[in-house]
This record gives sequence, C-alpha cells and structure tokens, in this order.
Amino acid sequence: MKISLKWLNEYVDVDEFFARPEELAAHLTAAGLEVDEIENLATPYKNVVIGTLLEVGKHPNADKLTLCQVSTGEGVIHQIVCGAKNHKQGDRVVAALPGAVLPGDFAIKKSKLRGVESAGMLCSEKELQLSEESAGILILDEDAPIGQNFATYYGLDDILFEINVTPNRADCLSHLGLAREIGALLGREVHPPQLNLNRVGDSTRNEIQLDLIDMDRCPRYAGCFARNVKVGPSPQWLKQRLEKVGINSINNVVDITNFILMDLGQPLHAFDVSHLKGKKISIEGAKEGETFKTLDGTELKLDGSELTIRDGERAVALAGCIGGENSGVSDSTTDVFIESAYFRPKAVRTTARKFGLETDSSYRFSRGVNPEGVPFAMDRACQLLQDICGAEVFSDPYDMYPNPIEIPSIRLNRKYVEQRLGFEVKNEDFVKWIEGIGCGLEVLDGGEGYVVTPPPYRTDISIPEDLVEEFGRLYGYKHIPDNLPSLQDAPTEDDLNYKLEDVVRTSLIAGGFFECFNYAFLNKAYQEKILGETSPLEVLNLRVPTEPIKIKNPLNEDYAVMRTSLIPGLLKNIETNLNRSIDFGQLFEIGKSFDRSKDQYHEESRLALGIFGQSNGLWDKTKIPAAFRLKSAVEGLIQSLKGRNWHWSTPAESRQVPSFIHPKQVSFLTYEGKTLGFIGTLHPALAEEFKLKEDIALAEFNLDLLFQGQPRNFKYKKISKFQSAERDLAFLVPKDLSAGALSQAIAKAAGKICRSVEIFDVFEDESLGDNRSVAYRIELQDMDSTLDEEQLTKTQQKIIEQVTSQLPVKVR
Amino acid sequence: MLKEKIESIKKRATDEFLGAGESQKLYEAKVKFLGKQGEFSQVMKEMGKIPKEERPQFGKMVNEIKIELEQVYKDQESQIRKKELDQKIETDFLDLSLPGPTAGQGGAHPLSLVTSEIVNILGRIGFSVRLGPLIESDRYNFEALNIPADHPARDMQDTFYVDDQHVLRTHTSPVQIRTMESENPPIRIVAPGPVFRKDHDASHSPNFNQIEGLLIDKEVSMADLKGTITFFVQEFFGKGLKTRFRPSFFPFTEPSAEVDCQCPVCKGKGCQLCSQTGWIEIGGSGLVHPNVLQASGIDPERYQGYAFGFGIERMAIIKYGIDDIRILAENDLRFLGQFKL
Repeated sequence: MKISLKWLNEYVDVDEFFARPEELAAHLTAAGLEVDEIENLATPYKNVVIGTLLEVGKHPNADKLTLCQVSTGEGVIHQIVCGAKNHKQGDRVVAALPGAVLPGDFAIKKSKLRGVESAGMLCSEKELQLSEESAGILILDEDAPIGQNFATYYGLDDILFEINVTPNRADCLSHLGLAREIGALLGREVHPPQLNLNRVGDSTRNEIQLDLIDMDRCPRYAGCFARNVKVGPSPQWLKQRLEKVGINSINNVVDITNFILMDLGQPLHAFDVSHLKGKKISIEGAKEGETFKTLDGTELKLDGSELTIRDGERAVALAGCIGGENSGVSDSTTDVFIESAYFRPKAVRTTARKFGLETDSSYRFSRGVNPEGVPFAMDRACQLLQDICGAEVFSDPYDMYPNPIEIPSIRLNRKYVEQRLGFEVKNEDFVKWIEGIGCGLEVLDGGEGYVVTPPPYRTDISIPEDLVEEFGRLYGYKHIPDNLPSLQDAPTEDDLNYKLEDVVRTSLIAGGFFECFNYAFLNKAYQEKILGETSPLEVLNLRVPTEPIKIKNPLNEDYAVMRTSLIPGLLKNIETNLNRSIDFGQLFEIGKSFDRSKDQYHEESRLALGIFGQSNGLWDKTKIPAAFRLKSAVEGLIQSLKGRNWHWSTPAESRQVPSFIHPKQVSFLTYEGKTLGFIGTLHPALAEEFKLKEDIALAEFNLDLLFQGQPRNFKYKKISKFQSAERDLAFLVPKDLSAGALSQAIAKAAGKICRSVEIFDVFEDESLGDNRSVAYRIELQDMDSTLDEEQLTKTQQKIIEQVTSQLPVKVR
Repeated sequence: MLKEKIESIKKRATDEFLGAGESQKLYEAKVKFLGKQGEFSQVMKEMGKIPKEERPQFGKMVNEIKIELEQVYKDQESQIRKKELDQKIETDFLDLSLPGPTAGQGGAHPLSLVTSEIVNILGRIGFSVRLGPLIESDRYNFEALNIPADHPARDMQDTFYVDDQHVLRTHTSPVQIRTMESENPPIRIVAPGPVFRKDHDASHSPNFNQIEGLLIDKEVSMADLKGTITFFVQEFFGKGLKTRFRPSFFPFTEPSAEVDCQCPVCKGKGCQLCSQTGWIEIGGSGLVHPNVLQASGIDPERYQGYAFGFGIERMAIIKYGIDDIRILAENDLRFLGQFKL
C-alpha cells in the first residue's frame, strides 16, 4: 500500500522524516511493516522554482522565440529563451534553472540558443509531468510565491512509502492506522481528524427506510442522507492526494469515499437515492439466480449465497465488494445515501473470490475493518460532502448495531512472555508497549500477570501468543539472544530414503553423470508424444496413469499436467544441450512421478538417466554404444546400494518394450526379484523427429522398489588360498540369443568352483552366417585344494555338454 | 703354464669387462669368461695336471682371481645399468600437458548440493529428514496450518489445484503436521523438497524447493529459534555472520519473524547482492501457533515448538551468485558442469 508522508504528518508528527525517510522505513520494517520502496516526489523538481516575468522581449535572431528576464527573488534575475507564446510580462511561471533534472532525466544547463545565452527553461505542464499534453508554458496564479520551490508550491514536497502490509494487519491499511502504529512505535501522540459537521434539520429516516436483516454477516450498518450534492470534478488537493497513492480521480463524491478509505481504512459506498426503488435499503442475502451488473459493467449471476444491499426491488450492491450500475453516483445525481458498514470478513471474501472482485473495498473488509470506526467514517464523509459538494447533510443518520462485537480480554503471565521470547521482560516495559498500541491493560499480582483488552481495530490480537509477538516486535526482536536447544535423543525414525538418494547421487556423480532438476509438471501433448503407448511401463513397475493428473489452474499449457515419467523432461534436457552445440553428456534426475487411481494420488520416486554422444577425447578412440555405458553406470549404482540379486533380461517381444525405446537395443533390470526399469537406446523414429543425431541411451527405474529392503548388509566372501585356473571357450551363438544367457548357463554348469565368467571377445563375420562367435574366459578355483588337470578337463567337458544341450550353441 | 693361462684370462677378461659399453656386450663377455662353458671353466678342468701338493695354493689363487673378476664384472654391470637407466629416463618423456582420459567426475545439481549441506548441518544438531507428498490435501497444506478457507493468508501463496480438495503443496509445512500426527514429542525434523506456486519470472519459479525445520519440546523460545538459525547460518555461509529477526506474519507461527543474515559477500558492509543494506533475507520462522499444535493432536499446554523455512533456490543464489533462477531448470551442461563440488 502507498502511504504519503504529508498525509501521515497530519495525524502524527513525522516532520523529521522528510529529510531522512529511510529512518522511518527502518522503524516500520523493524516492526514488521516492510517498506518496499521510498519515492521522493520532490526529487525531479530540484532547482525548479517559481519566477515572475520582468520582461518578455523578442529574440534577436529568431522570430518564434522570446527572450525573457525572469526574477526568482529579490535581485535574482535569469535570462531565459522561451519558445512558447502564451506568456506575458508579469506572469508567474515555473523556471527550471541550471542543475535541475526534469522528469525523464532531462538535465537543464546554461546554453546558447541562436546566439543568445539562456540560463534555464520555462516549463510546461507536460515537462513537469503534470499532464500528458500541454499547450504553452504553465502560468501560475498571480499570488504564487516567487522563489518558492515548485514541488512545495504544488504539494509535491512529499515522500511516498510502498508498504507491504501482512494480512493480519488490516488496521495498517490507512493513513490514520499507520499513524497509530508510528505513534506506538515512537511514543508520539496521534491526532485523529476533527469534524465540524453542520447537519440540516431534516431526518435521514424520512428519506430512506433501512432494514438490517442479515445481522450475522453485517453486524453494523450506518448510513446518512445528503441533499443537493453537486457532483463535479474534485478540487486539486483531493485529486492530488488520491493520485499520489495510486487512485484515479472520478468525481468529487466517489473521490470522497476513496479518500475515506485511504484515510481511515473504512470502505464506503455512495448510492444515488433517485435510483433506489421504494426509497428502501435492506441488507440480506441475494435471490438465487438473479443477475447483478457491477459499476464497471460486468454481469454476475448470483446463487443466493452472496450478501447484498437491496432497494425495494433488487440488489444495488454486493456487500463490501462493489456497487451496482443501477444505483451509482453520476453527474446528474443530487441526492446521495452514504453507506458505512462492518461486514464479516468471510462474507465479503467468499463473494470477492468467487467473482474475482479484488477491490480496495473487498481487500479491507476481508481482512477486517474496525467495527467501532463505522459512524466516524460516515460523518467524515458527510463533512467532506458538505465542504466540497455543497451538500446538505441530514440529521438522524442510521447506525444499526444490534449486537455489539465483544472484544474478549486476554490473560497472560509475564513469565510466559519471558519464556517464549527467551529474555527478561520488565513489567514497566510490557505495560508501556502494550498500552502504547491502544490496549486496555490491568496489572495483576504486582506485575506478574495481566488482563489485556485489545483495541477494536486490532482484530488480529486474540491469544496470549499474539501479545508475546506484539511485545517482542515493539520492544525489538534484536533483544532475542541466540540459544542452541540442548541436545536430546532425536526421534529414532530414520531418514533412510533421503540418504539412499544421496548414495545414488554420489555413485552416479563418480561415474561422470550430472544431476538435472525439471519441473514436476509439463506439456500434456509433449509427454504423450514421448511416452506413446504406456502399458509396457506398467509391466516394468513404472506406474503410468491412462490420463495424467491435470492442474486445474495451470500457468500455461507447458505446465499443465503432472509428469508420469522423468524421461520426457530428461529428453528435453538432452535436446536443449544438443541445440546449444554440446554434443556429449551424461545426465540423471531423481524425482517424483504422479499417478491417480480413483481419488487416490500416488507419487513414485524415480531415477532416470540419459547419455547422449560420446566423449571425443584423446584416449576415447573406442566407440562404445551409449546403452552400454549406461549399463555400467547402473551396475555401479546397484553395487553401491549393496544389491546382490539382480540380472538383466532381453524382452522376448517388441511390444513389451516402451515405445520410445529401440525395440532391439533394450534390457530390463530385475532386482531382488522385481522388474523395476529398463535401459535402452532412444527409438530411431523419435531421434529422427526431434533431429537428435547423436547416439542417445535412456533408462528409468522405480526408486521406491530399488530402495526396498534397505539397509542391506554386506558380508565379504572368503578368498581361496589355492591357485585358480582359467579356461577359454568360444561358442557359435545365434545372433538373437543373448550372450548374457549363455554366461549364466556356463556359470551354472561350472558349479561351485566357478569364480567368474567373462566375455572377452565377440566376433561377427559372413562366414558365420546367422551366428556370432562369443569367447568366454572361465576362472575356476576351489576353496579346499588346487584343481588338478583331470578336474579341469572334466569341468570343461561338463560345461560344453550342458550348455550345448540347453542352448542352440556350438563350441568353436 | 696354467698359471700364465689364468693370468691371461684375468687380464683379457678385465679388459673386456671394463671395455664393454653396454649391458649386452658385458653379458657376452661374462658368458665368454665366467660362463659354464667359459674360458675360466675350461681352465679349471685342467687342474688335474697340477701336482697334488700345489693344488691347495693354486686353487686358492684361482678362486681369488675368480672373485676378483666377478667383482669387476659386478661393478661394471651396475655402472652400465645406471648409465643405461639414466639414458632411458632422459628419453622417456611423457608430455603430461596432454589431457587425461575424459568423462571423469559428474556433479550434483546445485539445488541438491544446497539441500544436502543444510540437511547435514541440521543433522549435526539432531534434526532428521522427513518427506511428504507433493500433491497435498487442503487440510495439510492449509487448514491444519491455521489457514482456513477464505482466510486472506491464502493470498500470500498463489496455489495450483489438481481438484477441489487437493493442491500442489505451496510449502513444505504440511510435513510438520504429518510428523506431529504420527510421532510423539520431542520432535526435531528437517523437511526438504519441491513446492509449487503460480509465479514465474527471473526470481520466481513455479516449481521451487524449500527446506523446513520443526522442533517440538516442553519449553521452546524465540531464543532457541534464533540460536538454531545462527548456528545454521554460520555453518552454511561462514563463521561470524550475524542473524536478525524482523517481525512478520505467518498464520502458522506466533510470534513470527523474517530471518535476515549478514550478507556473506560483503560481511555486512553493503554490496550489490544485499542492495547495500548489509543484510539479506533468507527465510521465515516463528514459534508454532497453538492452533497448529492442536490441529496436529499435540497439547499446546504441554508442548511448544518452533519452525523455520528457507528457499533452497534463494540459498543457491546467495551461495553461488546465480542471478536468474530459470537457469536452474534448464540443465545446460555448461552450467551443471561447474558444480563438481
């Protein structure tokens, strides 16, 4: 909210802060009213002063220019060349003298215009940024004081504070409210505005019949009738006050209601009485299905739950939100009914939210205005109607307040305040500060306890903790010492999953992977395009809903649905990097994917990996398909999780393969008995579509499943003391048989003396037909003795016999 | 006769040993004179021709000569070896200005780095991690945190809805409620993770990260809170940095405070990062509101608590000097590649 220091100064003495506005800002910020911006309106008018034209002569070298002698004080005369035509000798004008920097960074210097010295500039309204357009220079009233700074003359010697008022401090949403706060902070007296209202004898009650029906939602309603209101433009001072704080001037009546809003924080409404059917006003719920047209022409359909102000036939205002087009003040208005009320915050807020009516009025009502300030705000508005619009203000104004709102008092002990704040609190300090904010206070037990009654405008104070905070912030949070809580046994439930994620992270980082962070929501069409047919993912225990979870109010289409896989995001990252000419990278992301079944939401932790391209370094001459490099990384990761039982398998059929993966370059991971993810090469069709030329491999795993059974123990295996022996065997293997399956078969055949089976060569050649040659190195070792030649030969034969009988392979 | 022969061998062998410039020549000379079929062995076979009584004396002499020759050989060998090794070293230049094999180490995302560091610091004073769902019910995200429907405080957080009763959590605070409901005091937890708000520009991301601390115990004061945060700030940003509280408003704490710490860049002197104020805002905090305790099934008469929350992105910005938070979600390797920390 914007606050004018000049306006504030009428209610509390803040004179010294015109010179040091930052000091006031620091006080406010330290008290919880954060000042976002300070704007000194006078800054652009430095060296801009009022002068009088002693002489207006012709410019010797230019017909269109005049040569003016301008006095800005006794004996101070400036020669200024001016291009305008509307000035004459004796006029009071605005002179920008050298050193001035006019709005728009327009610096004024001494210069020569067509050969004649000019020491400044005579200003137009446009140059002073007072209006959009102007013809000629600004001619001031005859009594404008010569030599006075223009900002002072024009009321622009003001400083504006943009204050970020937290939702609990509705009482600070006005100049008087803020004045009260500053008064409390700095211990200064506050002088609320004084009234001098002369009512005419006629009674408001003869003009309008008022019926307060919904007393729950509108506990207090006041109103006053005014006759002969002359609607027209507002006087300069009023226009300027409103414009400074960001409100456009409309007409004097509307401006007065807005002025009261910014002055006292009480929203008002002015009805044109000639439009009130039956000269009646009632406060009650809307009729179901009725339509209501707001002041700004929006048509709303009401469902009956809204609180309305009604005349004899229809709704004329949505209580606290906005008035109706049917009864607003216009240029032809003469009779006005001023409404000042206290509506319940919830009643206003529900309606404002439903229709998106975030008005200055609904903003204040929904945070809570001062119920006790209702009649005063009405009277002050009437006073201004009388002073500005020449209105006759009627007697007997309404003030219906059948059940006055009670302010419960709060009991608390001083010791409690001390304990919560962590420092010693003196009785006299507590009394001083709490009374300072307008609370009634009764001291109990010689200063050990208190009964506190908050002022009606502090609706945010209701429990002892609120008073702890009030005292804390006023006395100063700076008094709070540092105290480390003593260490006790922390709760024992572990934070294993978080730590396991770190294990995964560390392992992948060691393997040269970089972690990515993508948003949890993305473009629906993009996700669908990448993921395609999702049933294969289900089989892999990567849950994917048929329809992703939609955000009801997304920022835009690109962030419209929750992700069901981390792959689309990671693929996008790969694309981004490739487009930026980075042709090799290893990426991973740990995050959630989202799924819904009926009304239940499920979140699954996932790990996705992606490799694109290959490092082209001095030592990296061997081309290794990205999918293999990915596989190594995943195996390293499994080992760092101390996983033991896991294997890769090749899907038997293409339809089991996720549709974004190359159906012939893919492997599924089964870990501790559960299939939980895949590795594979990006499907060539997608690669082509997105113009991704590098070799790209992707993987995704269900981390929840991968983390099952943790923490795992690890036990070392005994090392044999006896020598090991190696046997090399090459097999002719059909191309569509996985070499991994053969490895497993060999290990099984070799039995318990098998220490390892390694593939050391794969060879393909036309001469081999549909086969390839795969060479295995089998390491054999016994725990109890050195294997002799006979045992080795026997084992080798057993391997060959078993393997060739189980699988369509031959020994070479 | 024999003696002359031996003298001759000794002389020639010595000459050849000393004359051998390289190990191969020396080896050949050794075979020629001292090998099994070498001249010395041949001569020894003629020992029989020597009268019996002269044999011991003769044998002794022969032996001495042999030892002498072997010594000459050994000395020469080690000299040649040394010379040859020196030569080899001299010519075996490895240009280590060439790059090592690539790939090497990867890196965690800066947001992970910051999160881990905070979790570790708070872990040292007994806080352990709790996590919660990202799609939260209205009750956990708002109601139980003393933010009833139609409360103005809901305006502070522009919310994404997935249905009428579920939102993308707008803060990590629901984890407070979940923990208090399922565990008994004393509680000391830290809850990191993604949160969502409808806001997107250079300093706001619609999907950002927070970390939240909660402590519930018998007596908990603002001083305990401030001490904890000061400890954290000094561990995270640097020793000696001060913290200060500014009064503020959060529906779930009372009293509430914004937390500023002295700018880690200028140490409070004033610089661009802190807009010349010497202080930077790092988060919000306060004593847990009695309504929140009540809503979580904890008796506010028996227990008290504090809570604080920081924005991870903000921490990363301060710590690493990042100036546009959108780069955090771009995952450009030229950016990520710098965080091999």
